Amino acid sequence: MKKLHIPVEHTKLANGLRVVAAPDHSAPVVTIGVYYQIGFRLEPRGRSGFAHLFEHMMFQGSENAGKMEHIRLINASGGLLNGTTHYDITNYFEAVPSNALERVLWLEADRMRALKVDDENLRNQRDVVKEEVRVNVMNQPYGGFPWLDLPPVAFRNWPNAHNFYGDFQDLDAATLADVKDFFRTYYSPNNAVLLMLGDLDPAEAFALAKKYFEDIPSHALPPAADVSEPPQTEERRGEVEEKFGTLPALAIGYTVPPRSSKDWYAMTILDRVLHGGRAGRIYRELVFEKQIAIETDGSLDVFDANGPTQMVTRIFYRPELSSDATVAAYDAVIREVQEKEISEDELAPVKVKFRADYYSMLEGGMGSYMPRFGLMHYLACFTLFDGDPDRVNTVLDGFMAVTPAEVQAAAKKYLVPTNRAVLARVPANHGESR
Amino acid sequence: MTSTTITTPDRSSPPALGPERPVAWPKRTVLTLANGLQVVLAEARTFPKISAQLFFRSGNASVAYRSPGLAELTATVARTGTTTRPLRRIEEDLRRMGADLAASAGADTSAIGISGVADFSEGLLEMLADLARNASFPDEEFERERRQRMEGLKIQRTTPDFLATERLRRILFGEHPYAIVAPQEAQVAAFRREQLEEFYHQNFSPANALLILVGDFSAAAILDQVEKIFGAWKAPAPAPQKWPEPPRQSGRQVHLVHLPGSVQTQVLIGNLAITRRDPDWFRLVLANSIYGGAFHSRLVMNIREQKGYTYSPRSGISALREYGYFTVHAAVRNEVTAATLTEMFYEMDRMRSLPVTEQELESARSYLTGVFSLGVATQDGVLSQLSTVFLDRLPEDYLETYRARIKALTADDILAAARRHFDSANEQIVLVGDRAQIADQAALFGPVTEYDPQGNRV
Repeated sequence: MKKLHIPVEHTKLANGLRVVAAPDHSAPVVTIGVYYQIGFRLEPRGRSGFAHLFEHMMFQGSENAGKMEHIRLINASGGLLNGTTHYDITNYFEAVPSNALERVLWLEADRMRALKVDDENLRNQRDVVKEEVRVNVMNQPYGGFPWLDLPPVAFRNWPNAHNFYGDFQDLDAATLADVKDFFRTYYSPNNAVLLMLGDLDPAEAFALAKKYFEDIPSHALPPAADVSEPPQTEERRGEVEEKFGTLPALAIGYTVPPRSSKDWYAMTILDRVLHGGRAGRIYRELVFEKQIAIETDGSLDVFDANGPTQMVTRIFYRPELSSDATVAAYDAVIREVQEKEISEDELAPVKVKFRADYYSMLEGGMGSYMPRFGLMHYLACFTLFDGDPDRVNTVLDGFMAVTPAEVQAAAKKYLVPTNRAVLARVPANHGESR
Repeated sequence: MTSTTITTPDRSSPPALGPERPVAWPKRTVLTLANGLQVVLAEARTFPKISAQLFFRSGNASVAYRSPGLAELTATVARTGTTTRPLRRIEEDLRRMGADLAASAGADTSAIGISGVADFSEGLLEMLADLARNASFPDEEFERERRQRMEGLKIQRTTPDFLATERLRRILFGEHPYAIVAPQEAQVAAFRREQLEEFYHQNFSPANALLILVGDFSAAAILDQVEKIFGAWKAPAPAPQKWPEPPRQSGRQVHLVHLPGSVQTQVLIGNLAITRRDPDWFRLVLANSIYGGAFHSRLVMNIREQKGYTYSPRSGISALREYGYFTVHAAVRNEVTAATLTEMFYEMDRMRSLPVTEQELESARSYLTGVFSLGVATQDGVLSQLSTVFLDRLPEDYLETYRARIKALTADDILAAARRHFDSANEQIVLVGDRAQIADQAALFGPVTEYDPQGNRV
């Protein structure tokens, strides 16, 4: 397979803002992102859901771009915009025709410099966020499964284990003072990276970044919070009622070794051996062969977490089966990968697919209308967490070097009961005995 | 640009846009093979990937009267085995070529799509042809996929937006097959494997097909592969079908789907509109964009950013091959169901009564032309635009002239389109929610008919 090299240039402004440019003149569009190193893991206690609520507030107005101006100006420039909140980052991004680059930088700088919101904005967005939670979680079959259900079972340290979308009483308790504090504490230029990708000249883009961002004052950041988990000594189990859906479901999560450790690479490849779509061992065994599951999938957000995270399998299984029988069938797949080294014949295609998926993610990653979203996302994660945006060009090497023995060793070491959590989503009308 | 920045920049107003840069859609090679297969090739060489979509111009609508959902299940089972490749081999071959495969059917088309590493283009095309020509419909996979589909249907009928769309399509299309978006479980249980084979052999034929390839290849080289792999395939096209017209609606009516325990109401209103081939299409697209088709649209500003009723309100035009329809939707907390409908109609009637402002017009034109152009930057974006052009049989310069056509529109065009296609007086209103919470509010907007999630009147 042809190896791809992404041209990446980076610099740091006097106020600590990191700036990354990746030129690509294949289309007259640019994708711009500002990533702040704060996510729902570190929102204040008693304020569950606050990081996400705050993300909404960043669209409510800044010093020179009042409420709705931000959205109107991007749309009226021919572009799309959004923001998302993750465990360890919150991002704001735009895809626009390249003649709007300077305008986007002006807008992003304006809200990094001076957010300007009031109580009315907060009330309004609190209502909007509650409807977001209702439509995505409370009024949907399998809403929040398992991204909201599993962490409270799997983890013990509050930053990792609370309700990230927010309890409504906590959302109600949030004040404008909280908004201002959060902004002052975390939305400082030295806690962020600016990404500029696409049809641009890096030198010109850096000059514009300097022009709009460099005199934004920065503050000392709070000391790094302790998000580590205490040692786990037994399997953890939990159960949540499924109000709408008709199939019983399980989520099984194993905590992943620390970012960039040798085991982290092996565990990631192991994830693809097990999951990796319909060719993966779990789908093959549970859906095709044993036909225990109606559907199963798996995920591991390998690049965008900077603290405890899990490899998670979801299994929607036949209603006449018990959860124990389903877990037993799953465990048989796990035992096999622990007891017998996988062949090179199986590993080599897994790596081809891994590389192909990585390239697809770089190109798009969020639908066809947010070009290079994935490239922006990875550049941001590699800058903020690893201090090296060019890792986007080298990170694959570590995964390609993983051996069958390392995959087996990772399976033996990490796919153990004392490293896992099992969450059952039980339909309200499902009569399984417990 | 390289001068030092010693002056303090003016920050009070946004910088002007730079000069617009031309958008160049990739050059296409368009041809029809001797067997009738239409082929469209477009080079997009930034990433070492290739995407191939094989469309057949027959979907669920073509079987809606006798076996709704048969096309969907046919596509799903067609990927589970061929005369030379069992299921497991198919999945392993895909992984070896770094590829993903999707097989599905909508109302008008069935499609098999494959995307993978460009080095394997020949193997990928061979796989695609194998699935399109030699599917063997193994008994065991048919039974398994059928069971999965039945379980999937049970879950779909607990999903508010699915229930709303299913009901609206029934109302808008009446006896026309577009009325049916999904089968009942019992209908799927009654499918026989032979019916799938029959649908497959009648419709998966080159004369009924469109192959679009986008990616890192040279058109000449890939064309040789296409001729070699698809050239010998011969089968007749299915006979065209004629369907009854959808009904005309008279007056607003409310259709309430009772989903017990809902903490929100899914509001969906709609009326029949037009297809992409209609002369009014661009006018309506622009009118929709200002009404509720974009983040900065009037509807979103009103019921989200001012009133906080909802997270993701939107309006849109769904263009099927024979008919299009206009919809407005929002998921709202139960107590503001009536208030939401009031605002939806207020904004609709405003679009019908007064011309939009110059600023709105200019913003919306820039929005549509800009966002349209973003598609040029990814292989998926190019593929999706090309499939629209060739499936809907639009003029070949559609992509190149889209921006100019949008830019030429005026406030009067939008007013005319809104009057013609936002059928305020005859909107059909679907509400999915808990009857006890919303029945009184529903009755404010017209006669109410109630349904259960299975579609039975209650």
